[in-house]
Amino acid sequence: MNDVSRRIREKARELFATGRIDAFLGYEPGSLPLRARPCLIQAGDEDRERRVGGLVWDSFCANNLAVFLPKLFEQDPGARGKAQAPKPRLGMVVKGCDLRSVTALVREKQAPRGNLLLIGVPCAGMVDTGAVEERLAGDEVLSASEGEGGKLLVRARDGRELTLFREEVLQACCRECRFPGPEAVDLLIEGPSRKPAEGVYERIRAFEARTAEERWEAFRREIGKCIRCGACRQACPTCYCKECFAEQTDPRWIGAGTELSDAMIFHLVRIFHQAGRCVECDACLRACPMGVDLRTFRGKIVKEVEELFHYLPGFSLEEAPPLSTFKEGDGEGFITEP
Amino acid sequence: MDNPYLPYPALIQEITVENEARDLKSFKLVLEREEHRARFHYLPGQFAEVSVSGKGEAPFGIASSPTEEGYLLFTVKRAGTVTRELHDSEPGRWVGVRGPLGNAFPWERMEGRNIVIVSGGFAFTTLRSALTYMLSGENRTRFGAITVLYGARDQGELLYKQALKAWQADSRLSLTLTVDRVGEGGGSGWTGRVGLVPNVLKDLAPAAENSLALVCGPPVMIRFTIPVLAELGFPQEEIYLSLENRMKCGIGKCGRCNIGPKYVCLDGPVFSYAELRRLPAEY
Amino acid sequence: MERGLLKKEDLGRLLAAAQEGGRKVFAPVEGGTGPASGTGPAFAEVQAGRGVVLEYGNPALSAKGIFFPQREALCRFHGERTAEASLPQTPLLVFGARPCDARALTFLDKVFGDRLFRDPYYLARREKALVIGLACGHPGETCLCTSFGGSPAGRQGSDILAFDLGEELLFEAATDKGRELLGEQASLFREAGEAELEARRGIEEKAESALGEHLLRGLEELKEKLDRSFEDPQWERLTRTCLGCGACTYLCPTCHCFDITDEEREGLRLRSWDSCQYPLFTLHASGHNPRVNKKQRMRQRIMHKFSYTVERSGEVFCVGCGRCIRACPVNLDMREILAALARK
Repeated sequence: MNDVSRRIREKARELFATGRIDAFLGYEPGSLPLRARPCLIQAGDEDRERRVGGLVWDSFCANNLAVFLPKLFEQDPGARGKAQAPKPRLGMVVKGCDLRSVTALVREKQAPRGNLLLIGVPCAGMVDTGAVEERLAGDEVLSASEGEGGKLLVRARDGRELTLFREEVLQACCRECRFPGPEAVDLLIEGPSRKPAEGVYERIRAFEARTAEERWEAFRREIGKCIRCGACRQACPTCYCKECFAEQTDPRWIGAGTELSDAMIFHLVRIFHQAGRCVECDACLRACPMGVDLRTFRGKIVKEVEELFHYLPGFSLEEAPPLSTFKEGDGEGFITEP
Repeated sequence: MDNPYLPYPALIQEITVENEARDLKSFKLVLEREEHRARFHYLPGQFAEVSVSGKGEAPFGIASSPTEEGYLLFTVKRAGTVTRELHDSEPGRWVGVRGPLGNAFPWERMEGRNIVIVSGGFAFTTLRSALTYMLSGENRTRFGAITVLYGARDQGELLYKQALKAWQADSRLSLTLTVDRVGEGGGSGWTGRVGLVPNVLKDLAPAAENSLALVCGPPVMIRFTIPVLAELGFPQEEIYLSLENRMKCGIGKCGRCNIGPKYVCLDGPVFSYAELRRLPAEY
Repeated sequence: MERGLLKKEDLGRLLAAAQEGGRKVFAPVEGGTGPASGTGPAFAEVQAGRGVVLEYGNPALSAKGIFFPQREALCRFHGERTAEASLPQTPLLVFGARPCDARALTFLDKVFGDRLFRDPYYLARREKALVIGLACGHPGETCLCTSFGGSPAGRQGSDILAFDLGEELLFEAATDKGRELLGEQASLFREAGEAELEARRGIEEKAESALGEHLLRGLEELKEKLDRSFEDPQWERLTRTCLGCGACTYLCPTCHCFDITDEEREGLRLRSWDSCQYPLFTLHASGHNPRVNKKQRMRQRIMHKFSYTVERSGEVFCVGCGRCIRACPVNLDMREILAALARK
């Protein structure tokens, strides 16, 4: 167990013991190799001690935990007018991208900052299970563990034992991550962390440089894989609308099936709804059971917002996001000369 | 092979506004084809999916009795896309009907028994079918005493006002009407009861001996009516409810309307209270 | 013909012959363009037997989508009138369904082929289809077929079962329909000798043994235990991190829930996949929702699959394919949920 895991457990134990939190959100080992998974512990859980003792922090903690906040803090519609139940006080492990999502949610009033006790953790990037599987040339990963010096020790089902380097099998979002260090937390656990990447819009620029036909073909091919399960939306921390536009019946924006135009509109609108809010954590990409390359198209929106408004979401609780801010001097050319 | 997803074409023959708020309307539908009419055998308690092309389908209890030949009656509350389209329609418009679906009231068990009917609000629709059926010609002799308690928010919300008037004058059954409160307008001089259905039921105290109860109403009414019937001595197997759940296919395939292992569209909508108690509490 | 050996390079010829005989052929292909094609081989329509791959565990999407498409038209509208949408006519041949997926089709048959209401759209495809299953030589860590009454060389749902012997495929007829196809194409096959039969037996034994190593235990009386556990407080804990994403239900070979919606502009009444994991699934027009939180919804999924279907059709509707375990973004594991509830 590494030092960060130990410190997370100590802190969680202490916070529960002193009654400062009602719940703790972190990671525990998953039931599959190369996976850690979200772990939400309530103060009243009868196996709380055991679960706190099982909290980990490693290179498999890819899930963005901010996705659980809107539900944890939502108003109870049945209690309208009457006193709402008190909001839980939540201790929470956050890596760089998670924290930006948390900040975005706090700013959008989906979670009160005062109820959050944020424990920042150093992030060296998360392993891409698909990349590891590729290195095994189709064989299945039986088990994996992290070794010293950034090594990843992988055992394949056919008995082979491989030593990979974490850096070679990181998720794309981690390789291109510009903000690995969580700031503005209540407690920061120090440790080895990635250096911010540079030149990250190269991939988007390369895509932009292709012809219109090529780009359309790529988009069509990717969205053609979509089965309209909605996992991308559910995994996204900043997708929390109680009634998604895709499900509205009056007016009816899109149909329910895999008709290409329906799927395209769904993804286009969802990407646009994430403009100024998406932190590129790739939760959507990981959740997609069909491997749709959401990253490229979504990245374009993030780039556009940064270039047009010099804005990236999730750093400031005070700053007003550009797409929900109106200033008197804003141009109106897009209305009169679209 | 019969296609259970294909509605029978039906013409809206007549539309009656049932309440003052004008959000409850009854639709008389006539199936276009003789072969469909011949196949549409139903018993009171069953429902059908009414289809409006381009808008969708919605399930409605069949309000007409099979003894009323030549048409099907549905009473529809204006709520969403399909019902709004129906409400905005005129006679002469084509719709579709899929059915009959679901199970009916337990007519075999009801033979020779006293029948107690307790109903509230909009749920009275299939009971109109049941009452009309029981009172039709020879049918009346098959049943013992018929006691009906029907309540609504106010007198404007009572359905089938003409039929109610006739039944109140009919000595072959005992009909008590009640309202939660007397509404303004909609007829002066309410001579019926004032009070919630469960309370009036307690007062009426129908005998449980050789009786069977049909209870149709909103969940809150059902919740308070069951204990009253229990206290009056009605066993759980002799109390029957008609449930509602969100439905789409109506034929037990889309997986949506289940309560535990039972599909409301296939094994219901009529369940005995005893049966319901064996199911998980999620409805 | 009862059985025969086919050189792998002749598989394309067999499938092309079936296509010439009037069938639409579906098989796993790499790099397709339809749904699911991004995650390794996916079932797609194959032309002239080209492009079929044999190296895969299980395609991400099962063969269920071939018979129960994600989106299909039930009716067409002409103004106020409704007419039946055309039923699929062409017989299908599906090659490469793993025994778990083939078995799942027989469960879907019980739902869509129910005596009371027969589903003409599903049955039009299913009744005329010929399924060639591909037996498993290397079950994965999340494969659980034997825990639920299946087997890596199970024939349920297949008309022919094929075994990958390396250079050749051994085809074994499982039904008369399968026998007939093998007979028609006998010229492509050579007779299997004792060595090949021995190899086939070895594959099955090795696979069964591998599966036995991670057999789920404690599943006796699972239905009874689950029925008793409906109000068990463990449900909340076990389902706490579920995102309600629906991936499990869409990938599951036996999940069959669907929605019916009218597309006014296209003049179609459509059926499309739906999921009990979505909040809107059971939402009443009045606003009441019997399954308003995700604990209730995940409980519904487990109860439906492991209890209600047993009551309705005599089968646990899980074939142990493991897709739900691998696909879940938060690694909710059905094995752990069952173990926790079956423990009591």
